[in-house]
Amino acid sequence: MSYENEISEKLEKKEALPEKLDISMLKYFWQANPLSSVKGGNIPKFLRKIGVLKNFSDNELRLLSQSLHLRSFENKEVIFRQHDLGVGFYFIYSGNVDVTVDSGKGAEESENYLLSLDKYDYFGELALLQDNSARNATVVARGNTELLGIFKPDIESLILNHPIVAAKLLQSVSLIIANRLFSVTREVRALKYKLTQRKMGKDGSKG
Amino acid sequence: MEAKASSSKKEWLRLIFFFSIILIFGGALLSLPRAAIPLTIAYVIYLIVSPALPTLAKLGLSKGFSIALLFVALLFFFIYPIVKVVPTITREAKEFKDNIPRIERYVETQYSKSRAVIKDKTGYEIPSKYVSEVIEVARKGTANFLLNLPQVLASFLEWILLVPLFLFFLLKDATSFKRSILRLTPNSIFERFYYLSHKFNSQLGDYIFAKFVEASIVGIIITSGLLILDIKFSLLLGLVAGMTNVIPYVGPVLGTIPAIVLGFAEYGTTPTTGAIVLLYLIANTIDIGIVFPILVSKIVDLHPVVVVMSVILGSQYLGILGMVVSIPLAAAVKLIIIEIYNEVYSDRNR
Repeated sequence: MSYENEISEKLEKKEALPEKLDISMLKYFWQANPLSSVKGGNIPKFLRKIGVLKNFSDNELRLLSQSLHLRSFENKEVIFRQHDLGVGFYFIYSGNVDVTVDSGKGAEESENYLLSLDKYDYFGELALLQDNSARNATVVARGNTELLGIFKPDIESLILNHPIVAAKLLQSVSLIIANRLFSVTREVRALKYKLTQRKMGKDGSKG
Repeated sequence: MEAKASSSKKEWLRLIFFFSIILIFGGALLSLPRAAIPLTIAYVIYLIVSPALPTLAKLGLSKGFSIALLFVALLFFFIYPIVKVVPTITREAKEFKDNIPRIERYVETQYSKSRAVIKDKTGYEIPSKYVSEVIEVARKGTANFLLNLPQVLASFLEWILLVPLFLFFLLKDATSFKRSILRLTPNSIFERFYYLSHKFNSQLGDYIFAKFVEASIVGIIITSGLLILDIKFSLLLGLVAGMTNVIPYVGPVLGTIPAIVLGFAEYGTTPTTGAIVLLYLIANTIDIGIVFPILVSKIVDLHPVVVVMSVILGSQYLGILGMVVSIPLAAAVKLIIIEIYNEVYSDRNR
């Protein structure tokens, strides 16, 4: 039962109202109030929900949000193309993006649909670390999309101004890359295993 | 497909809007040198001192307090010498102007003497109009420079009011101003624009800082050397040497000429003149051998031929100012060319 209904029921039945104000409930109503939501305050809240940023304190998220750039893209607008030089790492603040890879074999433009990313997902992390990083895939907005981007110059100024925030961000980026490297290594191992299996099978059939 | 076409059309509009804003800003600044020069100076000082802000912030000081502290430090280091030194330099410049006819007479007599010697030895008579032409040009040049110097120093006083004002707001609001420009930047060029402008800015800042230090070192060596030798106009000559040092390659020579001419005119072929020449040689050797390789050459990685060419090109279009700004501009052009090269040949590198 909602707090409001509870109170109005008690009023109808002429029961005594609770003596104490329910502070947490009031706080909830205050925060849920559509007028009170300040736009700047939303980005740290958004960042709080991203798994790889869980080691940030609230204040560090607030500092990080000051270095982020909110960029909005229209439907089908290209965020970046494969082989573009990139300097930015993006979180999806709202909307969706499609990731496609051009296999580059032959003259036909074979754009292979790879995957679609949703709110709270992120992409482009390699560009933050590599020098002259070329994008590995093309990313296109699906529907109106808002992205929070952080770029190499921002990292440089973060390192100067808020070294702890920078260290934690780079830790998070390393975590993303480590996870990816781990799954790639596992996949390579599995493929190698399959390859040797096949070879042995062929050798066995020959012999 | 329709959505794509409309979005690309919008993107074009955004690009046009963005570049027209930049052009309007740039045009307004270029057409208003009285505001643009102090703004440029404030920007240069901003580039020099802004790295101190994060250091102060790390000590736990608030941004406002850090800016106030920087201002007090700047006032202490700049205003006092300016108030003290400006009148001396103005006086020296006036005296130097009064000395010009004497120097001219000295050059003319020396010239006619050597003409006579050459005629004696070789029988070839050099026409005397050469020297009068050279003197005419030199007279105009120095007169302009020296006549303008008090005027420049007077506008200095105007700048003393304007520069701190601009500098204060640059220190306070540069970040938010940069962010609002970035918010206007169209998506299709955002990453490149941000990265290039950042790289250019930090390179410009480093270059200006290094040049400032280099010119100060040369100026201080020469001024103190001349003071020790007890030469007339030591402050003025030191200032000229420091200022001309900003121009690469040609600058040190330009800075030496007035001192040597003055030395010969004032002291003749005496040990004092030799000491002046030696002092300039030592100062420039220290500059070329120690200061330049350590400070400047690592920052702008340009081939010496490119440096000379860009200095010539700069002097052709903008005079002395062009000589000074040509190096950072050439570095910027190099940056952009490399970026375009990487863009165009990015597939080939794979």
